[in-house]
Amino acid sequence: MHTLKLLSAFFKVNVQMALAYRADTVVNILLNLMWLGWELLSLNIIFSNTTSLGGWGIGELIALLGVFRLVNTMMIALIWPNTEKFNQSIRDGSMDYTILQPANSMFLVTFSRMTIWRIWDLVLAIVLIVVGINISGDTTTSLNILTFILLTVSGAIIIYSLWIVLISLTFWFTKFDNNVTILQALLDAGRYPATVYPVWLRIIVTFVIPIAVATTVPLQALRGDLDAVRILMFIAIGIASFLVASRVWKAGLKRYSGASS
Amino acid sequence: MSPITIHAENLSKTYQVPEREGGFGAAVQSFFKRKYNDVKAVQQVNFEIEQGEVVGFLGPNGAGKTTTLKMLSGLLHPTEGTANVLGFTPWELKPEYLRSMTLVMGQRNRLSWDIPAADSFLLNQAIYRLPDDEYKETYKELDELLELEPLMKKPVRNLSLGERMKCEIAAGLLHRPKVLFLDEPTIGLDITGQARIREFLREYNKRTGATILLTSHYMADVTALCERIIIIHHGQLKYDGGIADLSRKIAPFKLIGVRLAEVDSHDLTKYGTPVQNEEDWEKQYIQVKAEDVTRVTSGLLADLPIHDITITDPPIEDVIERAFNE
Repeated sequence: MHTLKLLSAFFKVNVQMALAYRADTVVNILLNLMWLGWELLSLNIIFSNTTSLGGWGIGELIALLGVFRLVNTMMIALIWPNTEKFNQSIRDGSMDYTILQPANSMFLVTFSRMTIWRIWDLVLAIVLIVVGINISGDTTTSLNILTFILLTVSGAIIIYSLWIVLISLTFWFTKFDNNVTILQALLDAGRYPATVYPVWLRIIVTFVIPIAVATTVPLQALRGDLDAVRILMFIAIGIASFLVASRVWKAGLKRYSGASS
Repeated sequence: MSPITIHAENLSKTYQVPEREGGFGAAVQSFFKRKYNDVKAVQQVNFEIEQGEVVGFLGPNGAGKTTTLKMLSGLLHPTEGTANVLGFTPWELKPEYLRSMTLVMGQRNRLSWDIPAADSFLLNQAIYRLPDDEYKETYKELDELLELEPLMKKPVRNLSLGERMKCEIAAGLLHRPKVLFLDEPTIGLDITGQARIREFLREYNKRTGATILLTSHYMADVTALCERIIIIHHGQLKYDGGIADLSRKIAPFKLIGVRLAEVDSHDLTKYGTPVQNEEDWEKQYIQVKAEDVTRVTSGLLADLPIHDITITDPPIEDVIERAFNE
């Protein structure tokens, strides 16, 4: 309950900040409308020419794109702006104020900035996922859809955790502005179903860098390709990575308080 | 005696600072093999502060004031020693502790630049979980003392430095903290701005009984606000006590200022050492030993056509300078 209140307070402040400069606001709205039109156009081009890729049907591909876009929106709307703010707060010392606030510092660092214009992307991603599921509807069950949702959430958590670990490294390195670039590079590997990669790369992508878990695995669940053991395993990976990330974050904070002046 | 709010025992902090010679070769060498130097920022500092006290923390730049303040607020783990604030160990960062203290740093911003401070205040309300009525009441009180209302409608970037500082301080007090750590709260402000903040802190302390520990470069802040000062130099505690005591202890001198009927016509050197006072050109000042004040004053009054005479303590800057050079 309190978390929701805090989220809505952050959201309001971000809307206020987004509306602070008129010209900037107008340009942003136009730019994002154009961007949305372009995205829809390119989707149209892809799907008027392709019906399957790596053994995946058109409905599944649409849903995969939706999941990919969902993750991408998380990157653009939350992770990028908050990384920028985080790096800056380390440099100018305002991190001190964040640490002394009586709320979970990881939460504060995650949600203090939101690119609110990307709300359209979120809608588009969800539409794509729903449409995708509908098209492949005859081959899926409601249990598959449920596991798909669960694994999508778990996948998002894995990427989020990876981000937390990467920004936490800043506490040790002091200057580590490339932290998100690395994450983005890893994430781009998830744009295509993991099955199009050779086996060795697939293993790396699935286990070493669990990005595939975030995008491809939910889709496999939707197709009913995963057995219960693997589903549970992937959910466990999600929970474990979150726990590891919070540990690393805490250690980072401790390091910060040990070294900074 | 009031209960002890802040307690520091053997508080010490040593930093490891990378070190290298200037020049290109040294920079490359330092990349592969880094040398560290131990800097003892704070060494074995002990003090206790009672509830409701306003204590000034003085010392030159790099003396360890900010480091001590950061340890007491919980931002830094000490290398050695312990501290207790309101019954908590600060660096454990317990939410109950964070809700009852505040740290305001004159050189850092917590308010968002692009939006009016009122919006940032509401965010603080959410973070500190303040009920609406309580928040409004506190805001009203702060508004009364700081005249915030006219500042609340402008984006923070459009405020003057003094106005912004008022808002920054108010933002740090919305949750009614019992302990205030203020690091240079008047830095960069003009004389009236400084006086306003000072006046506010005095009144706030009187009304709420909050404990205040502040560092400042401006001696006027300290002399106006604090009955007790702690002097720290090279990381070590040099003095802890009243301002008057300090002057008596290390500078048993008084300043006698006289305004004469005819300026420059009398030589005052036979009464005491002449000193310049830049704030008051009308008077001529001499410095005399504290025990000689009565004798010299009556001598002056008997010998010279005096319009006005004052007896004051020497400026605290001089007093502290003397202590540091010991």
